[in-house]
Parts: sequence; C-alpha cells; structure tokens
Amino acid sequence: MRDSDVLDNNPHVSRSALEAMHGQVFGWALSRCDFEQTVAEDLVQQAYVELLTGRARFDGESSLKTFVFAVVQNLSRNRYRRMATRLRLLEKAGSEPGADAAEAAEPGEHIELWKAVQELPARQRDIIELVFCRDLTIAEASAVMGVTTGTGRVHYDRAKKTLKSRLAND
Amino acid sequence: MTDIDNELHDALRNGQAMAEAGRIPDFDTVWARAECTVVHRRRRVRAAGGIAAAAALVAVAFVSQFRQTEHEWQFVNPDDFASSTSWLAPSDVLLPKHRIDIYEEIPVLIESTDEDGGTLL
Repeated sequence: MRDSDVLDNNPHVSRSALEAMHGQVFGWALSRCDFEQTVAEDLVQQAYVELLTGRARFDGESSLKTFVFAVVQNLSRNRYRRMATRLRLLEKAGSEPGADAAEAAEPGEHIELWKAVQELPARQRDIIELVFCRDLTIAEASAVMGVTTGTGRVHYDRAKKTLKSRLAND
Repeated sequence: MTDIDNELHDALRNGQAMAEAGRIPDFDTVWARAECTVVHRRRRVRAAGGIAAAAALVAVAFVSQFRQTEHEWQFVNPDDFASSTSWLAPSDVLLPKHRIDIYEEIPVLIESTDEDGGTLL
C-alpha cells in the first residue's frame, strides 16, 4: 500500500486496493439491483463516497472485500427501503407506481444454471453468488449478508441442493 | 471442493461473467465522480454551517437587545446618612411614584381586649 494511496478518512483502505476489486464490487452491486447498470454504478459510487468520507470506516476486523461488499449491500437495502416508502406513498395518493421501481431488468445473456440461481430465494441466491462467484468463504458471505455463519451455512446448503438437482436434470 | 462443487463453480462463474460482460465501468471514472460528490457535499455542509452561525449571531443580537440590564447593587455609606437633614418614608416614595402600596397586604390586627361602651378595657 503506497502512502499517497491511503484514504484520508480511512487509514486502512487504499485506492489501489479498491481498484483491484472494482470489477467484483460492481458485479455484486449489479446483482443487488436486478442488473440495472445505472443503479449499480450509483451504488458503487455511493460506496466509494462512504469510504472517502469515513462514514463507512474499515478497521481491519474482516477482509476489505467483505467490508466493501457489506457497504454495497447496506446501501442497496436502504435504496429499496426508500423506494418501498415512496411506492406506499404513491399508492396512498392513488397514483400509479413509478416505472423505475416496477421495472426489473433481466441480464441480457444467461445460461440455465445462472437463471436457476436468479430464481432462488434472495438469501440463498446471495450466498451462492458470494461464495461461488465472488470467492468469499461462507463466514465472510454471512458477514456481508448480516447473518450468523450458521444461518449462512443453512442457506448455502439448501441452495446447493436445489442447484445440484437442477444440474443433474440438465 | 467436490466435483459437483467445481461444476457449480465453473458454471456460475461463466454465467456471472456473461451477465456482467462489458458492463463494468472504468474505475477512474467512478472514483472521480465519488470524489466530486464528496467535495460538493463538504461545500454544502460548510455553507449550511455558515448560514447557521450567521442566524445564531442575529438571534443573540436580537435577544440581547431586549434583555433587561441587571441592577447594580450599591453599598450604603453611613457618612452620607450622618449629614442628611431629611427623611422620607418608603410609602411616600413608592405609592406616588411606582404605584406600590406597601400597606396593602398588611393584615388587620385583631383586638386583643374586649370592648366596653366604645372603649377598650
């Protein structure tokens, strides 16, 4: 880690470390928002803002990757919470829900198994993506999702069972 | 990792790579935008702080204008009394000048002796 590279408000985080995992972080953000490119870019940018300002402070207790993934996860949760509130208000007012919230873009290309992953329940899908695609351990993935390792393992086993049977059928 | 794990790993990796292909934005661009947001946010916070400080100053000035000045206590100099030639009862000053009747709340004294033909025994 070069000294000039270190963030002022986050002494354990460097720009080069973030750059090295940028693709992975963006991929994670992409799957957080149903593959909407602009939303994913906003999420990643917002995550970098949080790190730059020190509002999300990394203290080295986990790996940096786990930490940044968790920041993206929290930001996307907040975004959907705000969106849900807005939708409720719109429904109360008797108007049509916003098109941006109603539309969920599908990835342009996908193979059968990837499709099967997308059809899994949210938590199972998340842990499978984090472990198989983002190279996190089950414990790290559980930390990102904000659940205990035991719970994470249950989601992981169930998801793997579903996917295995899917693979066997294909 | 078992064979099935490896198979899952490869398949998912490929699927993920296809879903994300060509979509990852340039790091420098995203980073520059994030830095720009931070700078704008700091400016906004500073401006808001300045406005709040100015408003607080105006409020303090406004309040202090209407605040009553405290009376300064003075000690009595006994030498001044020794040479004085006149005296005024407090009621003579308070009643006409400040409309304060100091006898207003003095209780009526109850007679301690019985009356006999208009005169007290």
